[in-house]
Amino acid sequence: MLQLLADGLVVGSVIALGAVGLTLTYSILRFANFGQGEFLTWGAYLAVTALGFVVAVTGGGVMQPIGPFSFGWELLVAMVIAAALTAGLALLVDWLLFQRLRARGAAITLVIASFGAALALRNLLQFLYGTLPEYYTREIQIAIRLVPRDVLGGLRITPDQLLVIGMTGAVVLGLHLLLTRTTLGRAMRATAMNPALARVAGVDVAAVIRATWIIGAALAAVAGVFAGLVGQIRPGLGFELLLPLFAAAILGGIGSVWGAVLGGFIVGLAESFSVPIFGAEYRAATAFLVLIAILLLRPNGLFGEKP
Amino acid sequence: MTPALELSSIEGGYEPGLPILRGASLAVAPGEIVALLGPNGAGKSTLVKAAAGLVPIWSGQVFLNGRDITRTPAHRMVQEGLGFVPQTENIFANLSVLENLQLAAALVPKDRRGELSKMFALFPDLERLRKLPAGRLSGGQRQMLAVARALVASPSVLMLDEPSAGLSPKLIGVVFERLQAVREAGVTILLVEQNVKAALAIADRAAVLVEGRERLVGAAADLAQDPRLAGLYLGAGLEAA
Ligand SMILES: Nc1ncnc2c1ncn2[C@@H]1O[C@H](COP(=O)(O)OP(=O)(O)OP(=O)(O)O)[C@@H](O)[C@H]1O
Ligand SMILES: [Mg+2]
Repeated sequence: MLQLLADGLVVGSVIALGAVGLTLTYSILRFANFGQGEFLTWGAYLAVTALGFVVAVTGGGVMQPIGPFSFGWELLVAMVIAAALTAGLALLVDWLLFQRLRARGAAITLVIASFGAALALRNLLQFLYGTLPEYYTREIQIAIRLVPRDVLGGLRITPDQLLVIGMTGAVVLGLHLLLTRTTLGRAMRATAMNPALARVAGVDVAAVIRATWIIGAALAAVAGVFAGLVGQIRPGLGFELLLPLFAAAILGGIGSVWGAVLGGFIVGLAESFSVPIFGAEYRAATAFLVLIAILLLRPNGLFGEKP
Repeated sequence: MTPALELSSIEGGYEPGLPILRGASLAVAPGEIVALLGPNGAGKSTLVKAAAGLVPIWSGQVFLNGRDITRTPAHRMVQEGLGFVPQTENIFANLSVLENLQLAAALVPKDRRGELSKMFALFPDLERLRKLPAGRLSGGQRQMLAVARALVASPSVLMLDEPSAGLSPKLIGVVFERLQAVREAGVTILLVEQNVKAALAIADRAAVLVEGRERLVGAAADLAQDPRLAGLYLGAGLEAA
């Protein structure tokens, strides 16, 4: 029981971070970005490259793990670099594609274009990195036993997994402070509410849109690195998470940051608890069952405002 | 004297080939309150939105204290000193009252940034309600917040689109009395109004817009007596029919 809870929180962390980006771009750019999953994949792979680079430059080719973790500080640096590069990638895609369509197209045009962008991004990635799985580290980690086996089945968790959960909490808190305490954050919320009035008040909406891409893509990259850290880095990593991301964002009430976080953890936990009930092969379908159930009860999601 | 705000032969509209503004002109002298009147659909809102940079201007010019701001992007207008309170959805409902004001203040350079304490002195209700999401305010409180939001940026000219809409006669009195105080503080005001009587009572001058052009311009006191005023409201309906 407890073990499933821990596994669900780890998966939920990745989904939550990705879904927050999705919900931000939805509320400010007003379209569902099906390319969000690819930003996770790109983030994970760019971190592989950045890690190789950082390790080669500083450590003479070896990464020395810090403390109980499977990786060294180099991976954290690589994650920051990957987040920056992924943000740059998102800005590039916006400049090449979405910006032009925003000027005239309807929301559905943007959604379909994001499908196309996702395909292009995934194929480009496979072309560059190949299809074999990658890892940040091959260190074997000893899981810590937090709860003995005779209490609710016990709980073992690796330090990496604990870190992923903790860092997700920190990132979400940071985003919350950004949105509520800074001018940029308030400008983003104002633009989401009413772009014309935001301009009247002096908000440079184009700058807010850029900031939104940067934040959304950087969060996706961090989610991708986390997914790679607790699992494998594969070209399908983000695509397979896309539907859980949407389920989480819709579940929370699209546009709501806290909703997306909560939705992420609910979907993660539901997936994890479904394994002993329905079997591992139906794990992916669980996100939908939860989504359907909640939407039947609360059509606007948990925190969604009435349309 | 250079007008504080001058609209010169403005033509424009939402879609190419469908002009809403057909050569509208209007000048507001520094320190004046000018009322912009006219029947529904005359283009009053469109004219002030165009001046604020929200509706494309095809020809004609907008001058603010003599500076041509016709092509200035909407988000730079506050820095130029042009404030605008739209007719509807004129507050950020998802931000708190305080955040509405903080955001507006943060978006202008320090030398234009009004003190929140002065806003709260002008609109005491807002101080009490500052923690509340703005979406929960009553109609009158919303209008106060919308005006305060614009004033925080210390505009030299403030355009208001129907600040009395949906308010009780008593509240209209309160809002207009605050506008008088704003004018006394040195802000020039262009006031779009459906409420002809109330508007003419506080305005110095007024213009009546019909089908995208000003048709009658004069001192507010004179217009209040002018039989042509009612005719323009009715006539617009007849011409359109
Ligand atoms: N966003 C828009 N897109 C297209 N046409 C519009 C838009 N807003 C207004 N119009 C049209 O422009 C014309 C003028 O509208 P406007 O809102 O400027 O009138 P108004 O004088 O402010 O009327 P009211 O007194 O009812 O507020 C109307 O025919 C209206 O249908
Ligand atoms: Mg109007």
